[in-house]
Amino acid sequence: MSKSDGDKPITAKKFMQYFKSYQKGSITRRHFLGVTGLGTAMAVMGAAVPSLWSGRAQAFGDLGDRLVFSTWPNYQNQVNLDEFTELTGVNIQVNAFGSNEEMLAKLQAGGTGWDVFVPTNYTISNYVELDLIQALDLSRIPNYDAAANNPKFAGPAMVNGKVYCVPKNWGTTGFIVNTDEIKSQPKSWKDFFDVTMGKGSGHTILHDYQLTTIGAALCALGYSFNSINPDELAKAEKLLIESKPHLFAITSDYQPGMRSGDAWMSICWNGDATQLHRDLPEMEYVIGTDGGEIWTDFYAIPKDAPHLDAAYAFINFMQDPYVQARDAEAHGYAPTDARALAMQPDSLATDPILHPAENLMNGLEFGAAQTLTDPIRAEVMARFKSA
Amino acid sequence: MSADKGTNRWLTAALLAPTSMWFLVMLIFPLIVILVFSFGERAAVGGYAAGFTLEQYANLPSRLKAFQNTMIIAPAGTLLCLLVAYPLAYYLALRVRSRYKLLLLVLVIVPFWTSLLVRTYAWIFILGGRGIPALLEWVGIEGVRLINTPGAVLIGIVYGYLPLMVFPIFVSLEKLDKSLLEASSDLGASPLKTFLQVTLPLSMPGIATGCMLVFILLMGEFLIPAFLGGGKVFFIGNALVDLFLQSRNWPFGAAVSVTLVVIMLITVSLYMRLMMRGKTGRDESLM
Repeated sequence: MSKSDGDKPITAKKFMQYFKSYQKGSITRRHFLGVTGLGTAMAVMGAAVPSLWSGRAQAFGDLGDRLVFSTWPNYQNQVNLDEFTELTGVNIQVNAFGSNEEMLAKLQAGGTGWDVFVPTNYTISNYVELDLIQALDLSRIPNYDAAANNPKFAGPAMVNGKVYCVPKNWGTTGFIVNTDEIKSQPKSWKDFFDVTMGKGSGHTILHDYQLTTIGAALCALGYSFNSINPDELAKAEKLLIESKPHLFAITSDYQPGMRSGDAWMSICWNGDATQLHRDLPEMEYVIGTDGGEIWTDFYAIPKDAPHLDAAYAFINFMQDPYVQARDAEAHGYAPTDARALAMQPDSLATDPILHPAENLMNGLEFGAAQTLTDPIRAEVMARFKSA
Repeated sequence: MSADKGTNRWLTAALLAPTSMWFLVMLIFPLIVILVFSFGERAAVGGYAAGFTLEQYANLPSRLKAFQNTMIIAPAGTLLCLLVAYPLAYYLALRVRSRYKLLLLVLVIVPFWTSLLVRTYAWIFILGGRGIPALLEWVGIEGVRLINTPGAVLIGIVYGYLPLMVFPIFVSLEKLDKSLLEASSDLGASPLKTFLQVTLPLSMPGIATGCMLVFILLMGEFLIPAFLGGGKVFFIGNALVDLFLQSRNWPFGAAVSVTLVVIMLITVSLYMRLMMRGKTGRDESLM
């Protein structure tokens, strides 16, 4: 028994007595809380500590209760989304898409109800032309610091002097090789297709995505990744159709195939490559020496977004450097924001897959706007898939 | 009297109105839209641009492989489904004791309540490199590729559509008058003959219904070929998804849809003619 027993509402011994009675059921919970002073303590604590209050945080105002977010698969950290919901009370409904063409098709059809979506750099000017996205009011996104973002990546966001989106992540497109099965060390897209039709027959995946698949074939033939030249596209189509019997699958969801050992090579985005390499060290990511893609993804708001305030709050929240770094922890892709890069652990910040040497990236091209809408490319892809 | 008839007619019209409206707005009108679209042109950035041209229909042969795949695998899948479902339905209708009948029926239908997507996704793992092929390797048979083949798609089809085939056949077999079977064996027919000459013809309405349900749904199927075919087995359904979402060539997609509907109409009416040939009463059919 300590000296200051007198000014406590209850002694330790009595507390345990009451507690035992409560456990046995001799006294009610209400009596127990009252007599031990715990009830009062709870009330005082609840009033004094605001973050214990349930319900909407006062600072955000009324944002509504829903946000529809269309993005790519495995491209965000659920912890970030849950925290946003906790802070604002807005529930996030996530839709996942495998290609920009699908997103464009849905937006063109109209009535999507999306509030925020994630387009890639080459689609922005098309969206502006088709009047499908709205210019952003940057004063509502104070977390976005234009100066901290590399202009090489953030550039496409500005069309005709107005900013239509803010950058999310950047990455490269190359291919991934299971070096346990394929020992020949392919270095270029030409090697990729040679191995596909040779030793790797039956174990290669091409994307169900015209930009990367036709781009890969074009690079293998020595043409530009973004080419819309009909003759070059005809040759690329021939190469693709020749390789089709040797493919394992045509899908953009290549991780299950690679992980199960059914597929030994695939066109790959570097964030997925990081994930695969981390789990299975024999997976090597290769940037084709004859070309490839470098890309940036952005957050954008469609023209008729129903929950505009929530959309701005969400984009602002996701632009916070700490949130960006936490996002990258889950999916691996590198942020464009220098402040977020500074917060990343070394394993990600210096990962050669995510941050390759400058000279390796020289041959990479950003997707071009006309690549999205070119009807010949679309038809080549459709014929390749039908073949 | 005529006032009565008038009210009657008005009443009938009023009662039919909601369904007719629904039919017109939800079925006829969209079909007309698709027909109109099929004569249009692809807009520069994708979508529909008004016009009147037959070039979409002229372009149909580029999807010949998709049509071929569907017209071969869909009937094959239906037939396979029938071969698996008929013995099951026969057993449930004629051999199982009535105590267990309900329970077994429920067991057949419960998987149907799970989403088709989830059930098909499960087969990716069973047929993939770590599933059955791994088991076969353990026994010594190497290099078996099951996933992303037409065979995998067939397995997926049979598994996914089995309840749809079992139930119509079960219903028509249950209606069977057992005394007919007894009479047949009394007259000296072997069990096989009884089956071929009595049971099978009498269950024909159920077979026809089941086959029609499965076949019609299969013609529009795109999920099973997409997952279990890995993009290498291309159905019309896949071609349509591609045209509307990837190529955004809505007029051509509309033309393919119209062609699909026409093919199905022809196939189904031929089939029904064949199945119902020689049937006397219209009440025989379950359709």
